[in-house]
Amino acid sequence: MQEWFADFKADFQLNFIDDGRWRWIVQGLGNTLKITLFSLLIGIALGIMVAAVRSTYDKNKEAMSKHKGAGYHLFTVVNAICKLYLTVIRGTPVVVQLLIMYFIIFATSRNDVMIAVIAFGINSGAYVAEILRGGIMSIDNGQFEAGRSLGFNYVQTMIYIIIPQVFKSVLPTLCNEFIVLLKETSIAGYVGIVDLTKAGDLIRGRTFSAFMPLIAVALIYLVLVVVLSALVGKLERRLRKSER
Amino acid sequence: MRDNKEAAIATRMDDHIISVRGLKKHYKGGAIKALDGIDTDIARGEVVVVIGPSGSGKSTFLRSLNMLEIPSCGEIFVNGVDIVGKGVNINQHRQKMGMVFQHFNLFPHMTILKNMTLAPMKLLKKSREEAEAKAMELLEVVGLADRATSYPSQLSGGQKQRIAIVRALCMEPDVMLFDEPTSALDPEMVGEVLDVMKKLARDGMTMIVVTHEMGFAREMADRVIFMDAGVIVEEGTPAEIFDAPKSERLQSFLAKVL
Ligand SMILES: Nc1ncnc2c1ncn2[C@@H]1O[C@H](COP(=O)(O)OP(=O)(O)OP(=O)(O)O)[C@@H](O)[C@H]1O
Ligand SMILES: [Mg+2]
Repeated sequence: MQEWFADFKADFQLNFIDDGRWRWIVQGLGNTLKITLFSLLIGIALGIMVAAVRSTYDKNKEAMSKHKGAGYHLFTVVNAICKLYLTVIRGTPVVVQLLIMYFIIFATSRNDVMIAVIAFGINSGAYVAEILRGGIMSIDNGQFEAGRSLGFNYVQTMIYIIIPQVFKSVLPTLCNEFIVLLKETSIAGYVGIVDLTKAGDLIRGRTFSAFMPLIAVALIYLVLVVVLSALVGKLERRLRKSER
Repeated sequence: MRDNKEAAIATRMDDHIISVRGLKKHYKGGAIKALDGIDTDIARGEVVVVIGPSGSGKSTFLRSLNMLEIPSCGEIFVNGVDIVGKGVNINQHRQKMGMVFQHFNLFPHMTILKNMTLAPMKLLKKSREEAEAKAMELLEVVGLADRATSYPSQLSGGQKQRIAIVRALCMEPDVMLFDEPTSALDPEMVGEVLDVMKKLARDGMTMIVVTHEMGFAREMADRVIFMDAGVIVEEGTPAEIFDAPKSERLQSFLAKVL
């Protein structure tokens, strides 16, 4: 036991204390959180826009096609672009998307973290859009009709009647999507970003001791995810309670 | 009472609040003809009950009147304006046409009072006090004033439907459309909803009611329309329709439901 403890201490010293290697972990964690947070913001903004276009189109295409105007044709094109975006993003691995961003689209830029933020943001936007659209579609059409029959226009019906209900029903799913995103950013090392995962791997490469740095990295992810999940669970219970 | 009202309607027969001309609604490129040419006029203050077998187009007809279904062709004049035409503000027309649905469609995330005041405040620009005063007055009429702060999920079906009716009335509509308002209710709750509708009819509201409640039709309707396969097969007073049906289709329908 004593021996084991001494080994552990030496290992810890080697991997985290010597040469200030713990700084890699801190820097990596910082990058992981930064990428997650900012791509989350992009994802939400993009997701809301795409979901708005897609569900507005689906709900109104019959009414609009009655009097085909320029607006209708423009809307059809925008809707098609959104559909293509969803198909491409959800149909290809996020690693590949990141590599394409890094080596093709932003080949001349050296702002690695920003490129990762854009890649993950665009990726999560597609999933957020589908979650939101699913939420909108899951609201009974009678709610739309009740709103419209009172004289509300489409946008007012969405704002006063549909969105508040959608928000309640999709919030937990959205939060889970962000937990997934946090873990997904662990591939940022592919394009040379020192995120949490890469930091652990770098230490392993220096010290030739894999156990300590990799387990430490895993534990940090685990703690983050467990804490976030607990918060989501709390939120979910809150929402359920207010439902009566 | 009844004779007075009939006389009043007769003298205003030219005063049609709604006129429907050649109304058709086709689905699947014409394979399904939900409505296949409807012509009718609704007089101000008239109570029209629409009956007919399932799939005959009753809901489609009713929902066309406020453009929840977009007609394939035909004209619908409301107060003289063709609402199917281009450049019509359909939202403004809908404000004047209350609609009551089979499944109530109350807004579950709002209290009863909020359900009733939302549209008057946002659309009619009423003050909160004004809108709430009107809502409370109507709640009083239907005996649900004590439920103002409840949520829809805390109410029974019959209570929900009474709220749905007064929610529509808060917009002070010219016409009320009812699509099988009692079909989703337990039998013991049908009466309380029909009572509210009868009261409304007696107050002179123009009403178009799709229902299977033949008792209501007999008692309250100024005119009964029998639809089948997307057309009006027969129409007339309750006595004409129920006691002396002419068409074979109406006779066999009545044999099944009465
Ligand atoms: N969205 C749709 N797509 C295709 N067919 C439809 C659609 N909506 C209605 N129909 C068809 O149109 C016809 C008329 O339907 P409608 O709902 O108006 O009948 P209804 O008289 O109200 O029947 P019920 O008593 O069952 O409510 C039916 O044959 C129905 O299947
Ligand atoms: Mg129907």
